[in-house]
Amino acid sequence: MTDAIVAKGLKVHFQTAAGLVRAVDGVDLTVAQGAFHGIVGESGCGKTTLARALIGLQSATEGQVQILGRDRSDWARSDRKGFARAVQFIFQDPLGSMSRRQTVGQTLEEPLQIHSVGDAKARRARVAELLDLVALPATVLDRLPRSLSGGQRQRVSIARALALSPQVLICDEPLSALDVSVRAQIVNLFARLQAQLGLTIVIVAHDLAIVREVCSAVTVMYLGRVAEEGVAKALFADPAHPYSQALLSAVPSPDPRIEATRPRILLAGDPPSPRNPPPGCRFSTRCPVVEPRCRETEPALRAVQHGGAAACHLADANIHAMI
Amino acid sequence: MKNWPWAILAPAVIFVLIGIFSPWIMTHDPAAQDYGALLQGPSGAHWLGTDYLGRDMFSRIIGGARTSLVAMAFVLMAALAIGVVIGSFAGYVGGKTELVLISVIDIALALPSLVIALALMGVFAGENFSWMSDYWKMIVALTLAWWANYARMSRAVVVAELQQPYIEAARVMGASHIWIFTRHILPHVLGLVVVYASADAGALVLAIATLSFLGLGVAPPTPEWGQMLVDGMSYIEENPALVIIPGLALTAVVVSFNLLGEAFALQKVPRAVRGRFLARKKAARAAEEAARKEVEA
Repeated sequence: MTDAIVAKGLKVHFQTAAGLVRAVDGVDLTVAQGAFHGIVGESGCGKTTLARALIGLQSATEGQVQILGRDRSDWARSDRKGFARAVQFIFQDPLGSMSRRQTVGQTLEEPLQIHSVGDAKARRARVAELLDLVALPATVLDRLPRSLSGGQRQRVSIARALALSPQVLICDEPLSALDVSVRAQIVNLFARLQAQLGLTIVIVAHDLAIVREVCSAVTVMYLGRVAEEGVAKALFADPAHPYSQALLSAVPSPDPRIEATRPRILLAGDPPSPRNPPPGCRFSTRCPVVEPRCRETEPALRAVQHGGAAACHLADANIHAMI
Repeated sequence: MKNWPWAILAPAVIFVLIGIFSPWIMTHDPAAQDYGALLQGPSGAHWLGTDYLGRDMFSRIIGGARTSLVAMAFVLMAALAIGVVIGSFAGYVGGKTELVLISVIDIALALPSLVIALALMGVFAGENFSWMSDYWKMIVALTLAWWANYARMSRAVVVAELQQPYIEAARVMGASHIWIFTRHILPHVLGLVVVYASADAGALVLAIATLSFLGLGVAPPTPEWGQMLVDGMSYIEENPALVIIPGLALTAVVVSFNLLGEAFALQKVPRAVRGRFLARKKAARAAEEAARKEVEA
């Protein structure tokens, strides 16, 4: 089985007035077919840029992306519509990603029209099917996006992305614009759709609790690089990279007794600017267990105990950096 | 648009209706001369009197409305089409093409439209253009003087809309440039441009009258307000109505289109009218109330 997405040495650099911003700086990423792959990290670590570069909304400075075994840029150039039918994207802001002049019905029908799917009647049937799929009532069809609630909007944008029955769905923080109470519903929707349709989903998120709940694989990013990756359950149970450990310790526990006593790792300061990353390990400026060699050589990804890989000098298959 | 005072549309609508139905409204042939009745005042036979050739003023004013309306419609449609195409193209394509087109638009905007139109009329007076009638020369000159504003606005809307995330979403869906432009961007462009055109129509009627006033536009037998002003000037002492009537007609049209444009743009009552309009409504309601109380008492 080929992997759904393989990115090699992906770099996205932005030339700004203040200097070169290395938003994504050499990322290798492999997403297995049928995986629910989470990409996590704090703000500014390049996870959104990575997601956009994967689908080509952002052109990469360097590196390649293969999707379903084909070179992404070749595919998108030679067969724009075929690519769109196979790979879809969900935006962070559902309201902004829909035309404010189109009703929900028109919005959902648009991809079908672009790809000349069936006649008007068949398209209407498909739209009704899509609404069913995301559990929206038919009454929303004639409403404008701005008159919907946040959760409904995101459901519409998910339905639109699914209209062409894609195999791969890349989601850029689809949850961050939502209320906490609605988040769970949408996450469950993603999980259900994935099981129902056999989708490969890549989801960018900063809510670790949710990633832990639904993702099968996870990639932790820090400052444009992969800090750690692996199977979600195993990685969350036993994170090898000090950054992952710190991130996980920030997730509150629903049990107040555990919450009161669980150890917290507080990181000092902000992440360094992606304009001039520190020499050696990028996390060395904030790492609580930093050693002299961390400031000199940058650690490569290496196999660690939980079966994944981490970019830390102190982590390997037998021991890992414990804070 | 609820509680919108549709009355504000009335003057402009009346002008358009008169223009369309003028042949049925005119009481006389506007070109027919009657040397037995020169420079007469209003009468049963000639409602607004006659001019120095004995032509019926009422019919000439009504006929002039059609001349203005038709010329205005030609120029507006042509200027709008050219402006939208050039402006949208510049905004959508971007880069050097945009830069070049913007420079052209800016140069066109830097000169007053009427000056451009006059200069073009001068050029068109040459022999190379003798195949065009004066009327069409005027239409073309005004179009070339008028498109730039629409181009500038179209470009601005296109550039703003292109930055919206939903355009990106459409691209992800596999939409072509033509699809994105016609389905998502063009409606926004037209929305703004048409509103602007509704206010611009008045200025254009005035420009047509100005060119005719200078003897550059509509040829004499056709009734035209600007020309009527010139004709009437020589007889202003005998019959001032010859100047006053076309002048009033022009003023009314310009004001009504300006109000219309402002109303569209603000989606509400223009301030100039709002106070009085609402006061009258309030007064009417108060009077009704008082009458009812009186009846009850």
